[in-house]
Amino acid sequence: MIEFTINNQPVCAQKGETILQAARKAGFYIPTMCYLEKTTPCASCRLCVVEVDSTDGLILSCQTPPTAGLAVTINSDRLEKERTNIMKLYDVNHPLECGVCDKSGACDLQNKTLEFAVSAQNFSAKEQHRPVQHWGLINYDPALCILCEKCTHVCNEIIGDDAITLQFGGYKSAVVPKNSDVLDCTFCGECIAVCPVGALVSSNFQYTANAWELHQVPSTCAHCSAGCSLTYEVKHASIATGTKEKIYRVTNNFEVATLCGAGRFGFDFDVHATKDEELFTKAVEAFKNSKAIRFSSIITNEEALILQRLKEKFGVKLFNEEARAYQSFMAAFGSVSGKNSFSGSLESIAQSDAVIVLGGRVSTDNPAVRYAITTAARHNGAKVIYMHPLEDELMQNVITQMVKYEAGSEEGVIAMLAKTLLNGCDVSDEIQSFLNGLDEGYLCAESNVGDEEFAQISKTLIRAKRKTLVVGLDILNHKNSANIAKLCGLIEMATDFSVVVISQHVNTVGVSLICDLDSDKPTDNVVGYNASGDFTVGSMGVCDMLVPALNSQEGTVTSLNYQVLSMNVAIGFEGYCLNDIANELGIREVNTIDYTSQLPIQKGFKGVDFDSLSNFYGPLGEDNRGYILEMMDVACDGVIDDVCQLPEYNGTIAYACNPVNQFNIYTAHTTQLEKDNALRGSAQFAIAARLAHGDRVTIEGHVGTKTFIIDETLKGTIALNPFYEESTANRGYRFEKIKLTKVES
Amino acid sequence: MHVEPLQDRNVSELSAYYYVDIPDYPETGWDKFKQVMKRTFKGELFVGLWVVLREMIKFDIHTVKYPLEKLPIGPRYRAVHKLLRLWESGFERCIGCGLCEKICISDCIRMDTRIDENSRKEVTEYSINLGRCIFCGYCAEVCPELAIVHGERYENGSEQRAHFVIKDDMLTPLDWLTSGQQQEYPGFGAITPNESVKSTPLAY
Repeated sequence: MIEFTINNQPVCAQKGETILQAARKAGFYIPTMCYLEKTTPCASCRLCVVEVDSTDGLILSCQTPPTAGLAVTINSDRLEKERTNIMKLYDVNHPLECGVCDKSGACDLQNKTLEFAVSAQNFSAKEQHRPVQHWGLINYDPALCILCEKCTHVCNEIIGDDAITLQFGGYKSAVVPKNSDVLDCTFCGECIAVCPVGALVSSNFQYTANAWELHQVPSTCAHCSAGCSLTYEVKHASIATGTKEKIYRVTNNFEVATLCGAGRFGFDFDVHATKDEELFTKAVEAFKNSKAIRFSSIITNEEALILQRLKEKFGVKLFNEEARAYQSFMAAFGSVSGKNSFSGSLESIAQSDAVIVLGGRVSTDNPAVRYAITTAARHNGAKVIYMHPLEDELMQNVITQMVKYEAGSEEGVIAMLAKTLLNGCDVSDEIQSFLNGLDEGYLCAESNVGDEEFAQISKTLIRAKRKTLVVGLDILNHKNSANIAKLCGLIEMATDFSVVVISQHVNTVGVSLICDLDSDKPTDNVVGYNASGDFTVGSMGVCDMLVPALNSQEGTVTSLNYQVLSMNVAIGFEGYCLNDIANELGIREVNTIDYTSQLPIQKGFKGVDFDSLSNFYGPLGEDNRGYILEMMDVACDGVIDDVCQLPEYNGTIAYACNPVNQFNIYTAHTTQLEKDNALRGSAQFAIAARLAHGDRVTIEGHVGTKTFIIDETLKGTIALNPFYEESTANRGYRFEKIKLTKVES
Repeated sequence: MHVEPLQDRNVSELSAYYYVDIPDYPETGWDKFKQVMKRTFKGELFVGLWVVLREMIKFDIHTVKYPLEKLPIGPRYRAVHKLLRLWESGFERCIGCGLCEKICISDCIRMDTRIDENSRKEVTEYSINLGRCIFCGYCAEVCPELAIVHGERYENGSEQRAHFVIKDDMLTPLDWLTSGQQQEYPGFGAITPNESVKSTPLAY
């Protein structure tokens, strides 16, 4: 703790905090234009200047840590004059188009100009012609840009795309795509969110609504398991449609949280229906006669509980292979670690100084994990060890060590990794003998990861203090996932690593905790709830009966952090929902959210009402969203099996992997997100599969045809096969030996 | 007349007030009877009837024959809205800022906007629900471009309680503009359309 004074009042700062942070915590106001809590200081606006007793000049509070006993003055005539002058300079030639600007009413420049009472332009510069740039989903107006550099900082430090940069040229400076004429990035839209003026805007949203007209609905993103907070902004669709509402855009609390492109641009997946009595009766009948319900994890905790109640009352089976894979993984994990969940979280990844990513393409599976890793690498200089059969172009600039193993050999790799990480740890004799008994020669040869690579890993980790192991989606469906889970549990238990297991869908964790799932076997009379079945009820594509999508529902989901997060209704839904069907079947509650307080306490849920769950970040970045599940003790009786034969994958292999910003059938139905379902392979793959760029192919065992594209960024004989347009059913292990047939057109 | 004399409520020769010569009210029953008889037989009724008859014969009638004839309306009268065009270019003045929509106290204005091919904001549709509009004039007052103004069409009769005007109804037709029929209202920021109006150079 460092004690100093602000305006003669005593203030304490933590080590590493700046004057600005300490001042804000203590409730002092220092104006800023370019400051972002989650990045390193841009230090471009100079509005946060303060006076200190130790030096005559003004210092920037955003990047200066206080020293003990320092006397800081944050408002004086001199500072006021300095700040007013900065605002006068900001306003030079800023186009007076507030009338049409999207940012008007929520604009930092407007606010600060009024705050400092700048009512005239005191300086002049020759006006230049700066046309608006169209970068796909993003429009950039250089005339409005105040060059605060927030956008370049988030793009580089948090997202990791590093796609935009500042082109210096004095008054002609502007934000430009880096090393390219057009913007080539993952279109997360975070630059739009942080832009304090209307320079960077969503091209779809631009000039369609004003900030003050939009009704804000705080909710949670429904696309991946990260459960990012977002706000749907809603207004009537148009004059012609009367009171019918539409989501115009999605915003987020960009000061502390981050959102990917799917969350920001993929918001219009709502469906509409009316109360059709006949269809409803049919649906109730179908549920009554069903032997099993197959469902996806893109549902709320409450819906999962209703399904579980249906199982308890009628003895129907519940099929959800994807959540079951996660459930059994976590069961095996817990049987060694002794807890029902893991200790890591997205925050712990961001705060680590060493991260191992194993078995998953995190950049597309779960962008929030990628952003956390980028944050760790950029802010803490974290070493990132990336272990996967495929290189990932998007992760290249944060990875310090790429460990490429053979597809299918995950069990061997993690066994060797466990041995490396546990070296020197105090473990039981049983485990020690297991580690000693590993056939290193065989495992290294089969996985194609050499001894020296593991030696390098342990060397990298020597100085690291906060270490995280990220277990990717590949592992969950591996043939030997149970044993891999135990090995992960061992790493969690015995080392100082915190483990994060990535789950696929928004509520995989919730479903795995709430539902007793059965193994999916061919059965008659299966009702599909957001999944395939003899009678389908769902909110996507072609269903027999429509129920509300997740942006039309109240309820909670459980994120991969084991955090219960609430969702709210952005767009009203006129039809029936699962709760209505359950009521007909004798499982009675007035609203779906009445189940929130009934979620199983023995699994860590707290019996709180939906309405008492908050959903916001505090002014200092405190996470006031829902609650985190309590970690429960489980029996620690797992025995790690010996690692024997590793499976081999030869020939042409496809890896089930979606393009950026595409996750599932919901994102596939949104208007703004790019829908690229081409099979992507390297030039080497094309030769092996005897294909040329642009060929139409069918994949044996899969429906439909796809275009084959040669991707220069790929290597080896593994192609990327997008699956987001297919149903949410589990696909099994993500690497698959495929047979391709060329379709003559 | 100035207001000062009126503010002095004391009746005097200097003030604007004076006593009216009102006879005393009858108090006794006899006095009341006398007043009734006097009013009944004095023939005051015929004085009025004669005035009517005289004016009828003279055929000098001042009645406005609405709807064949309408009284001229003051230029600041607040009747059904109009959307004006720029004299110099013929473009719509409305920039779609949404201030009228926001300020409207009866919440009867709605507009649809979009980004057009030149990256400018375009108002695709604009409607006012005249069934709700109270013709307060806030929309015209807040408009930064003098685009929405009140016109002189005050007849709001309709088959429905809610009837709307849409953009096409309100916008000055181009041929009206070229023939100089767009009416300007004097006041802050108003322009006087004449030869001196030229199109603004937008190119650098």
